[in-house]
Amino acid sequence: MKTIEFVILVVISMVVAFVIALWVPGAPMEKLKLAFAYAGLILLFLLAFLVVAAIAANKIDISKLLEEKGVGGASMGRFQLLIFTIVIGLSFFLVVLCECKIPDIPTNVLALLGVSATTYGVGKGIQATTSKDGNGGQGGGGGQPGGVGGGGDAPPR
Amino acid sequence: MRSLATLAYWEGVVLLAGLLGVMFWKLLTGGISLHGLLQGDVRDPNSADGFRSQASAGRAQALIITLVVALWYLLQVIHNPREFPQVPRAMVAVLGGSYALYLVGKARALRRADD
Repeated sequence: MKTIEFVILVVISMVVAFVIALWVPGAPMEKLKLAFAYAGLILLFLLAFLVVAAIAANKIDISKLLEEKGVGGASMGRFQLLIFTIVIGLSFFLVVLCECKIPDIPTNVLALLGVSATTYGVGKGIQATTSKDGNGGQGGGGGQPGGVGGGGDAPPR
Repeated sequence: MRSLATLAYWEGVVLLAGLLGVMFWKLLTGGISLHGLLQGDVRDPNSADGFRSQASAGRAQALIITLVVALWYLLQVIHNPREFPQVPRAMVAVLGGSYALYLVGKARALRRADD
């Protein structure tokens, strides 16, 4: 993120805080709490919104989110981890919205995420130990295929 | 304070919907590549780099089980969003077995030429 965008976000948040502090009726302490709460909420929202907008505009490149380093093909381990992360994250958000509190997470949900993450980790381990050049696991996936000078064979997916 | 909670609610909805929308749009349009998702590499001494790609049954069954379990879980939460759904142990076992099968198949395919 560019510095100017961050400065604009902070300025907007501070303006909101000042508006609340000056014009909203109430006791000074209450107004202070409200000003900080609204400013923080708006700052967080705008920061997150900038990240989402940057992803949508390809300023943050997620095109290789599912690709194994140096291979070019999608990874099943990454894909299933993405699916379960989205599903359980969305579920958490829905439960928080309905209950207005942080819920207890059942152990079987943690087991589900654990199975998913372990599969990804073991898959990376298999890939690292069976790569052709023997160092495919270093740095999380190995050398670049077709690199300059022909070095770095692609490890398997 | 109630309006603060309402603002937080709508901010969360907008951000999550935006992020999920962008992710699914990119998945559908190829912005996030799924090319080769169902293809696994096997060792091939005749190939230039020592590997060749072929369709993998292990990946296909893992994909199907993943989508079924994820969809089931999501539907349960949508049906009753007041608590996390209880995932049956059998379902976790099936998922673990499916991934174990996929990983064993992957390891065997890659080591076949070494045996």
